[in-house]
Amino acid sequence: MQIQQIIAIVIIFFFIARVFNQKRHDDININEFRFWLVFWLASGVAILFLPVIDAFVFDLGFSASGIEFLLYLSVAILFYFIFRLRLRMARLEKDLTEIVKNIAIKR
Amino acid sequence: MKSIFIVIPAYNEEKNIAAVIQDIKKADNTYHIVVVDDFSKDKTYDIVKNAGIDVLRHIVNRGQGAALKTGSEYAIMKGAEIIVHFDADNQFLASEIASVIEPIISDQADIVFGSRFMGKPSNMPVLKKNIVMPLAQIFQHFIFGIKMTDPQSGFRAFNAAIFNKINWHSDRMAHCSEILHFSFKNKLRVKEVACTVVYHDFGQKFSGGLKIIKDSFLNIFIKH
Repeated sequence: MQIQQIIAIVIIFFFIARVFNQKRHDDININEFRFWLVFWLASGVAILFLPVIDAFVFDLGFSASGIEFLLYLSVAILFYFIFRLRLRMARLEKDLTEIVKNIAIKR
Repeated sequence: MKSIFIVIPAYNEEKNIAAVIQDIKKADNTYHIVVVDDFSKDKTYDIVKNAGIDVLRHIVNRGQGAALKTGSEYAIMKGAEIIVHFDADNQFLASEIASVIEPIISDQADIVFGSRFMGKPSNMPVLKKNIVMPLAQIFQHFIFGIKMTDPQSGFRAFNAAIFNKINWHSDRMAHCSEILHFSFKNKLRVKEVACTVVYHDFGQKFSGGLKIIKDSFLNIFIKH
């Protein structure tokens, strides 16, 4: 195992511990807990089996290494999450407008 | 005699709102005026209230589209047959409300848009007239397939019965494009009428135009 992998695993352990801690303090609900736990565990597995991912990426026909592929994938996922978040915000704004409208009319 | 409601969205318009109300009353005393104060920080609300006009207040600023929706729904609740959207910044002439509502009264149109580009006097800033508006027109043509002389006019009138067919979702400025889009999509009888515009400042900036595009884009993805 390379030193970078060990550092990555330590960081992932730190985040898994944080997820458990947040659940213990009820800062996140069970669904969020499950999501983040699976996310960090999957990241840990990906780091542990980097050579397998290297081979998988090569088989797919990409010239990038496994870690670069993971990086590209994470950026794409982040973009998706930002978009989801933006939509969620827009829906909340819509609900807020509805409340403001009803208050204005009923007053 | 039709029940005509003039809905005016207002945000920090203490300098103009009294004159706008006065001009509308002078134009026709039978118009019902409804001002929606969109959480102004100045004395707009007090001025309208003291003038004895129906005034609704948003407890949080929600934008012009939202204010127009509040006012329009209120007008319908009060029995409006024709609803007119009119700006609070004194850029349109109250005396022209009659020509905008006329095609609806004579049953020639369901919705009428006041156009600032049909030959009536206008002191529209050069940049706005020659760059911002043509770009808005192109955007509207390609996204919504609509060709109108004025893509962003805030002066419009419609038969209250068709409100549900044009019920816009945009809280901010994208409501103009949306109302046009719904009017054509639902095959309403649309008409444009020339109107005069008197600019006191630049009005909506180019960045505002980009915001409209962003809001229109997000609207595609949000369930309504």
